[in-house]
Amino acid sequence: MTAVIEAINLSRWYGHVLGISEVNLEVQAGVTALLGPNGAGKSTLMKIVTGQLKPNIGEVRIFGEKVWNNRHIFRRLGFCPEVDAFYEELSGFEFLSGLLSLYGFSQAECQKRAERALEAVELTEVKNRKIKSYSRGMRQRVKIAQALAHDPEILILDEPLSGLDPLSKRRIIKLIKELKGQGKTILVSSHVLPEVEALTSEIILIHQGKILARGDIYFIRELIDTHPHMIRIKSPQFRELARILAGEDYILDISFRPSEQAVIFETHHRDHFFSRLNELILELSLIIEEITSPDDNLQAVFDYLVGK
Amino acid sequence: MATIREKGYHHWEGRLKEKPRAFWPIIRTGIKLAFERRRFKLLFAFSFVPAVVYGVGVYVSERLEDFKFMAQGAEKTLQVNPNFFKSYLTLDIIYFMILLLMSLGGAGLMADDFKHKAVQLYFSRPLTKLDYLFGKAGVVMFFVGVLTLVPGILLLILKLLFSGSFNFFLNYPWLLLSIIFYSAFLMLFFAIFVLFCSSLSNNRNYAIAIMWSIYIFSDILGAILKGIFRSPYSSLLSIKANLGQVGAAFFLLKPPYDYPWYLSLLTLSLFSILAYVAINRKVRGVEVIR
Repeated sequence: MTAVIEAINLSRWYGHVLGISEVNLEVQAGVTALLGPNGAGKSTLMKIVTGQLKPNIGEVRIFGEKVWNNRHIFRRLGFCPEVDAFYEELSGFEFLSGLLSLYGFSQAECQKRAERALEAVELTEVKNRKIKSYSRGMRQRVKIAQALAHDPEILILDEPLSGLDPLSKRRIIKLIKELKGQGKTILVSSHVLPEVEALTSEIILIHQGKILARGDIYFIRELIDTHPHMIRIKSPQFRELARILAGEDYILDISFRPSEQAVIFETHHRDHFFSRLNELILELSLIIEEITSPDDNLQAVFDYLVGK
Repeated sequence: MATIREKGYHHWEGRLKEKPRAFWPIIRTGIKLAFERRRFKLLFAFSFVPAVVYGVGVYVSERLEDFKFMAQGAEKTLQVNPNFFKSYLTLDIIYFMILLLMSLGGAGLMADDFKHKAVQLYFSRPLTKLDYLFGKAGVVMFFVGVLTLVPGILLLILKLLFSGSFNFFLNYPWLLLSIIFYSAFLMLFFAIFVLFCSSLSNNRNYAIAIMWSIYIFSDILGAILKGIFRSPYSSLLSIKANLGQVGAAFFLLKPPYDYPWYLSLLTLSLFSILAYVAINRKVRGVEVIR
């Protein structure tokens, strides 16, 4: 199958700062997540894909056509930037209609499409309110609405779930899944693994401007599983908990934090660990105040992948 | 073209216009946003006062006998000739009104885009940088045109109507072109000037301050240097003086300052070119690095 988005040997730097380096990429229809910590080069890559930045080396092709200086391709592409990009004095409806008019739709068509897009993101009720009065979730949804209002085949969504409350996140995840069901190609960036898990299983790992790995979510999970997990449990019975779990063969290391009334376990098998922990809580009526994973983040995986 | 796995959405059946005028929606939105401010509406209405006064002047000039009691000693001022039109289009108050209107409706044209990071929304659409700049410039040109070109032509029409003959037009057949070309010159100059100031900051208030500072400071500097060196060429530093000088040339009149008018044209052109280069660089420089 021909790739919908194809990046060939892309490099872009800002003075002495490297944005992305030798990125080769093929994105097919469906949802693909670009996963990487802040500063990894996700936004740079997205800006190159959306034709807003010129790569120093290499090129991007969409449906086989070059992107740079090819404004016609933008009819088939919708971009939702990470940062808020609004005219605060306009209402959501006016904002969308105004942007739609840049595509050459008639006024009536602009209004119809704006209505439809606002409906898709469940903002019909507040469409005539000024954007400056919108909540964080509403603003995010308006940004997505402006990206899909002209019915593009490709959607580039830069951190669409960032800073949202759980309800808004759920709404947007649902919407992205619906758009996927409509056959669109969606490239979405994030630095939060659980968010991405909810969206897609197709993942591209980017770190320090380079594509580290590509595969489905199970691949990442495997990497995480081969990389020891640290689980910190805060409990008044932390010593007892440590004594019981010390005998389990999947526990690699135990360290105590008496001042915090906490114990940190290191394990290769997270699932086994949590399953046993659940049993213990029920059997011994353990009081657990807090469970955190000090390294349960992408950075730990990236550090592991780059051999830090 | 890639195969779409599953296609549930429907493409728009209509025909998209290929956009030779992609800047129109930007102009429309800019004008609309300006009129959404109540202060702007008031100011806009007030900015026509000079035109109304000149209109009355045209009427009185044709009825000097009737207004003898009022117009005594002012016959020369009330004479409608090319100088009358030039004086309207080079009035300090007109430039002042233009800047005042642009403070409310023009200073934010690019500053607000930078502030709200909206430039990326424009450029992820089928729009070139030239479309974007032309769209923004169009907003300024519209308002400057409404204050210069429209009243200029209306005053000429009034003159013909009140005099009841075409003699005036036949005496000065080039006057209409002078009005059009000088107004167009003002529209172009102020468009670049306002956009330049607007592009220098993400804050529209700073852009307003920059706009007024450049305009007023250039005049003060010109006057100070003139006082020191006693040279008329010092006025080349003043935007207002240069506009007046070029205006006189457009109306085939003696320039107010004692140096060739084309030097003023050259100065304003040079300023405009540098300002355009700066605007162009600024738009290109809007890249979010993460």
